[in-house]
Amino acid sequence: MAQTRSTSTTTKHASPAVIGAGTRVRGRLTGDGDVEILGHLEGGVQLRGELFIGEGGRVVSDIDAGSLRVAGTLEGDVSVTGDVEILAGAKVRGDVRGASVSLEEGADLDGKLDCDFQLPSELADHAGHTGTTAKARR
Amino acid sequence: MASTVIGAGITIEGEVSADDEIVVQGTIRGKLDAREGVTVEAGGVVEADIVSGPLSVAGHITGNITSSDKVELQAGARVVGNVKATRITIADGAQFKGNVDMDV
Amino acid sequence: MALLTVIGRGVRIRGRVTGEADLTIEGHIEGEVAVSGDVTIESGGLVGANVSGRVIVVRGAVRGDLEAEDLVRLEEGARVVGDIRAPRIAIAKGGLVRGHVQTGGSSSGRPATASRAKVEAPAVRRAPVAPPRQAPAPVSAPAPRAAPVPAPLVAKSAVSAPRAVAAAAPAHAVSKGPPPPVVPALKKGAKAALKKKAQ
Repeated sequence: MAQTRSTSTTTKHASPAVIGAGTRVRGRLTGDGDVEILGHLEGGVQLRGELFIGEGGRVVSDIDAGSLRVAGTLEGDVSVTGDVEILAGAKVRGDVRGASVSLEEGADLDGKLDCDFQLPSELADHAGHTGTTAKARR
Repeated sequence: MASTVIGAGITIEGEVSADDEIVVQGTIRGKLDAREGVTVEAGGVVEADIVSGPLSVAGHITGNITSSDKVELQAGARVVGNVKATRITIADGAQFKGNVDMDV
Repeated sequence: MALLTVIGRGVRIRGRVTGEADLTIEGHIEGEVAVSGDVTIESGGLVGANVSGRVIVVRGAVRGDLEAEDLVRLEEGARVVGDIRAPRIAIAKGGLVRGHVQTGGSSSGRPATASRAKVEAPAVRRAPVAPPRQAPAPVSAPAPRAAPVPAPLVAKSAVSAPRAVAAAAPAHAVSKGPPPPVVPALKKGAKAALKKKAQ
């Protein structure tokens, strides 16, 4: 098992960087392209592109990325400009924000989802808000 | 053909207002406003004042009925309340207790 | 006679809807929905209420919590502001949610700890099972004819058994190697050397 302690890794746009199944990374991962994690990463992720956490992959980190696909384990809060796809078999603990968040049946999720949208005006609360979060509503 | 059916296993407690016809096989308690028409089938229970178009009942109604059209009590119906309608039919076997106002 | 209730498009209910039946909502409900059957909120349906049922399918809009015994499925067009709790949850790409989403287990409100406890329990239960199975093996294998040694004293029996064999009958020689010496062997002349030292 390779153990890497790194402060940052930049990736080329062409092909995704892969953190293989036997690799553990402790540190921040930043880049413009796509990253595929099949091993372990703990620290931080800041990507312009897509982060894919493969089936055996485990990420303990907040995620700031263009888009996210999870088939493995993720512990951390997610903020993504594009779409989040949580696949069956994934295990996610943390709050997730994205343009859309999809969840396959069989995925294990415990966290807040936050997508930007308005409810029809008929369902506005007494203050006339349709865009408040559930917590605020109470 | 009604597009709203309150099935046998359902109870609604509150105010119901409908733009289309309602068929009640379950229970409504509170208020019912269905201008297109109301059918209370056998087994249906309405404990509410009803404002409706035509109304046909074979079940139980406890409450005042204000209809813009005709009210029909089928055999087996049990209605306790005042009825205001343009026409009314009470079939043999129906039970009724209340005033009838036909706005003559 | 269907136990299906359809709240049509033009219907507005302000109150509680309960019962043992399936419910399809195309209209507008404010209040509470709690049925034992399946609830389907169609694409024009508007529900300003907490909804509980067995399977909840949403294609419309909900301001309220969804709690299902079996499954919550948000399809294309679903808009939900509220918490979602069910053993299984599926959200299509076109379904949008703002609220706490929690899959798995009972809706006891303590999911993570509960599921972790479930995972840990079998591991704990397995541990005590393994050693007792191993203990009898070393006792029974080497010296079946050795003096009966009680099972808990595994360590002792392992050492004493070969000695018992050697002492009882050399013909036995189940030969697990030579018996360990009781006294460390002295080199030739060592005794003499020691005597000299003492003087």
